[in-house]
Amino acid sequence: MLKVSREEILDGKFERVLNFFRSRSLWMLYYCTGCGAVELPPTMTSRFDIERFGIGPMATPRQADILLVTGYVSVKTLKRIVRSYEQMPEPKWVVGFGSCPVNGGIYWKSYATINQLDRYIPVDLSLSGCMPRPQAVIDGFVNLMEMIRKGEAVGYKKYRLNYEWYKQNQAEVLERTEPVLRPGIASVGKVQETKKKISVMEGVK
Amino acid sequence: MARKLRRLLAGSTVNERYGNRLEVITDGPHAVSALVILKSSGFEHLSNITCVDWIDEHRMDVTYNLWSYTHRLHAVVKAQAHRDALEVPTTGEIWPQAQVYEREIHEMFGVEFTGNPDLSPLFLHNWRDMPPLRKDFDTEEYSRRAYGVVDGVEEAGV
Repeated sequence: MLKVSREEILDGKFERVLNFFRSRSLWMLYYCTGCGAVELPPTMTSRFDIERFGIGPMATPRQADILLVTGYVSVKTLKRIVRSYEQMPEPKWVVGFGSCPVNGGIYWKSYATINQLDRYIPVDLSLSGCMPRPQAVIDGFVNLMEMIRKGEAVGYKKYRLNYEWYKQNQAEVLERTEPVLRPGIASVGKVQETKKKISVMEGVK
Repeated sequence: MARKLRRLLAGSTVNERYGNRLEVITDGPHAVSALVILKSSGFEHLSNITCVDWIDEHRMDVTYNLWSYTHRLHAVVKAQAHRDALEVPTTGEIWPQAQVYEREIHEMFGVEFTGNPDLSPLFLHNWRDMPPLRKDFDTEEYSRRAYGVVDGVEEAGV
């Protein structure tokens, strides 16, 4: 007789059914950092009307499913983003708007903004554009719904599995104890180290 | 007005600029006395305080923007401080709102405002390096080391 564990049921069929319903009812929490917040009112209101996809705005992180990071992230903002993200109940997804959360965008030289949001919280989907127009936002959300339905959007599982790595990266930026610009530290070494860690994480799915 | 101020402010230079603007150049320690004289001669309003780092001349200009409602004149007071002795007396007693500006300039440029009771960090999160708006602070290198570099940014030639 074939024995099926409770976990398999939860991860398999049941999860697939759940994912279908999850993808049809998404509450978004938009963290209005940077310029992308301007694109959300037209996306939500009558012209583009995102509610026809079952996506609506939510006031608190504890009731939200998607976290929208709408632009550059400064170090101070990152602290609040991490806090909001950890308050959200699972399953939860993160959407990064524009190029700033991907590589720093036009702010990548700045001392105040982080360069890659994916090192601190897992980003499921990045939208192209600077900033993305409402059409791009809707296109991204449709993609995200598809990813959720297929069970490909696994950012929150990644976060749970690599919790130490994410926490370490966050602490590196938020709880700095020593100056960064000391003579004698090669800047290249750290980049390589980061790449290695990211390549390790690719196999999580 | 410029002639009157030249008489009052013996130690500083007063230049006329663009018709309705005056430029007063003074050195750091005498900034407060110059500002007191300016306030008593009609420049009631302190719009803001900024700082300019002239690294080649090895000094910083703490710049006070004043506005006179009576004369309809804008005065720019530049208090020049040597970069090795960045000390300017506080103007918190003349204009209370100067306190926050001085706190910010202390954080961003490292200028010491003697007499200011609270120069604790204001904007930056847990900052350990040199003040970031100084010209000798390498913000690109900082970003590279603190936050890492993502592939493709270098090639884009930003």
